[in-house]
Amino acid sequence: MIYLDNAATTRPDPAALGRAQRFATENFFNPSASYGGGFAVSSEIAAARESLLKSIADPARFELIFTSGGTEADNQAIFSAAKRGNAVTTAGEHAAVERAFNELKNRGVEPRFAPVDRYGAVDGDALFDLIDEKTTLVSVIHVNNETGAVNDIATLAKRVKQKYPRCLFMSDGVQAYGKIPVRLTQDIDLYSFSAHKIGALKGTGALVKRKDLALSPLIHGGGQEGTLRSGTENVLGILDFAYAAEKKFSALAADAKRLAGYREMLWGLLDHALLTRLSPENSSPYILTVSAEGMRGEVLSRMLWEKGVVVGTGSACSSKHRFSRVLQACGLKESVLDGVLRISFSPETTEEEIQLAAKAINAAVKEFKEKL
Amino acid sequence: MEKVVIIRYAEIHLKGKNRGFFEHVFAMNLERSLKGLRHELHRTSGRWLVEKFDEDRAEEIAERVSSVFGVHSYSVGYLIGSSMDEIFSAAKLVAPHEGTFKVETHRAYKKYPLTSMEISAEIGGRLLETFPALQVDVHAPRSAVYIDVRENSTALVFGSFEEGAGGMPVGTSGKGLLMISGGIDSPVAGYMMAKRGMTVELLHFHSYPYTNEGAKEKVVSLAKILSKYTLVGKLTTVKVTKIQEEIHAKCAAELNVTLLRRFMFRIAERYARQCGAQCLITGESLGQVASQTIEGMTSSNAVVTLPVLRPLVGFDKDEIILRSRKIGAYETSILPFEDCCTVFLPEHPAIRPKLSFIEEEEAKLDVAALVEEALATAEVITF
Repeated sequence: MIYLDNAATTRPDPAALGRAQRFATENFFNPSASYGGGFAVSSEIAAARESLLKSIADPARFELIFTSGGTEADNQAIFSAAKRGNAVTTAGEHAAVERAFNELKNRGVEPRFAPVDRYGAVDGDALFDLIDEKTTLVSVIHVNNETGAVNDIATLAKRVKQKYPRCLFMSDGVQAYGKIPVRLTQDIDLYSFSAHKIGALKGTGALVKRKDLALSPLIHGGGQEGTLRSGTENVLGILDFAYAAEKKFSALAADAKRLAGYREMLWGLLDHALLTRLSPENSSPYILTVSAEGMRGEVLSRMLWEKGVVVGTGSACSSKHRFSRVLQACGLKESVLDGVLRISFSPETTEEEIQLAAKAINAAVKEFKEKL
Repeated sequence: MEKVVIIRYAEIHLKGKNRGFFEHVFAMNLERSLKGLRHELHRTSGRWLVEKFDEDRAEEIAERVSSVFGVHSYSVGYLIGSSMDEIFSAAKLVAPHEGTFKVETHRAYKKYPLTSMEISAEIGGRLLETFPALQVDVHAPRSAVYIDVRENSTALVFGSFEEGAGGMPVGTSGKGLLMISGGIDSPVAGYMMAKRGMTVELLHFHSYPYTNEGAKEKVVSLAKILSKYTLVGKLTTVKVTKIQEEIHAKCAAELNVTLLRRFMFRIAERYARQCGAQCLITGESLGQVASQTIEGMTSSNAVVTLPVLRPLVGFDKDEIILRSRKIGAYETSILPFEDCCTVFLPEHPAIRPKLSFIEEEEAKLDVAALVEEALATAEVITF
């Protein structure tokens, strides 16, 4: 199987999982327990927390809260930060942010959505135009999960803070963390990411926040995570997360460079008569989104599954959400929206896989085209 | 004091000389519906009694029995000795504690020292003493206590008659093959034929990879819901992808659906003969969609010789939805999985296709080979 749907989830790294497993079977103690076993687990979590945080931010200014995933981290940030006035985000957000922003309406906060360009990156000026004195939160996705378009969050955050220093700035970094270089600047208040997109298990995520920022918890209880996220820690998930991240960060720049090469190689090999490129030239090296105009991405993905090539799609045959909301916002026409395939890589992806995948995709698209 | 479920049957008593057969099938169906639950099933004068079950499963037993066709009504009650004290102790358990009520006694054992009226009066009196908020009203009571004094020094006491599924025991009216899609109609059609005693086998057509696994899973869920009534835990699927592609490639676009349906009927008939079904069943309702016109039905019927039963043909969608809800299939039926991908759907399907035109277009295809090829993809799912 050639697995190229790594933006959906990644294959858990066996070495990281092997290291973490001891904490599921032998050191299974509750990290809050006051005896030695509990202390050993809580020390290991503290180390994991520090290592994950340090990889993208200065621990003197920022702290990290573990959550059940990227979605929870986004919700935690949004509902804590946007409590009055209005909140501004982009039309290119993941549903975790978009749905949470829409929920703000029910809580008396006006959500505002800035348009995106044809690649899904936010229009900075338009975003800025939506912000005013009453804006309490601005949220911009770091890497668009459907096209791989990268938003320059450092510059956007700086611009926001210069004019509105009290407005909070957050970014959903799920498709960026462990994939492209990230360094949180002093203008960024909140940053979310997820474990299973970088070779760790599903069920763990993190929210990095500025230390002096007071948030209110979504989940109340035993007071874990500095009272911000109660519930006994997902020890296995957290440690696996940290171990997998260590590995990713050790080769981040080299992986990104190699995968950018693969992305271009794949695009070069694909049938340009039948496929259009939707990802921009400077997208995340991990994502290449294309469209087979007039065909159905969902059907193509099943045809490819039968050929042993796994890719994602931007549409679904189900009539309720036939088209991707984000790609619609990019201004693409329906026949293009129908045929979207999202091909996403991991550091394990090989050149040979790229070549085989290109052949399979070209064959599937040709086969489908002939049947239309 | 033993909790029992009392089952009364519906139309079986009409069946004269065949009665033994009907009763035998009915009892077998009751047993099948109660599979996996400890119980004993006994026949007693004109009724069945489910006995010897774990008392906390009484509701589950009643629920399962309620969907067996042939059950006219059922009651959860107590089987006890026939002394007045025992009858009263059971009556206390089923009686209401307030409001109007009456006691109704049926006495099969005519040598019992008290008459029916006397038993009712005595038990009613004792209940009034026990529950002072009760009031007797023999004409329009809010609740009732029923007492059956039987011949073998036992009595049955119960508080209500619950409506059963009605109809005839499945297995007493032959076998049909239902073409089941993921929609609202076909499960209801299957339910209605099963209600008249027909054994219903299920056949589903899919066009993977144009349709997805979710659509298939949905049909399996519907089949499971339906099996509660039909007692058949089996679904056969056939892939018609190649047929759809061929029709799309070679034939007039507006006949797409008409031609596909003719193939489905042919395949269904072949499969029906394999599994011993004597007719085809569809969920078609006249005029509901473009292919469900009388012309559309005629064109499908023209390729088969088995009778095609369409129990919903005269129903409005609302009526079908009502029945779908009643059998518990509606929520599953409306899940958003398409059982037929819109890739090959024509913009304007022919509403009144002429048979001569259809045959002309169909002649462009190797019908026999395509049917054969599709039948070879048959997959049986049991549950």
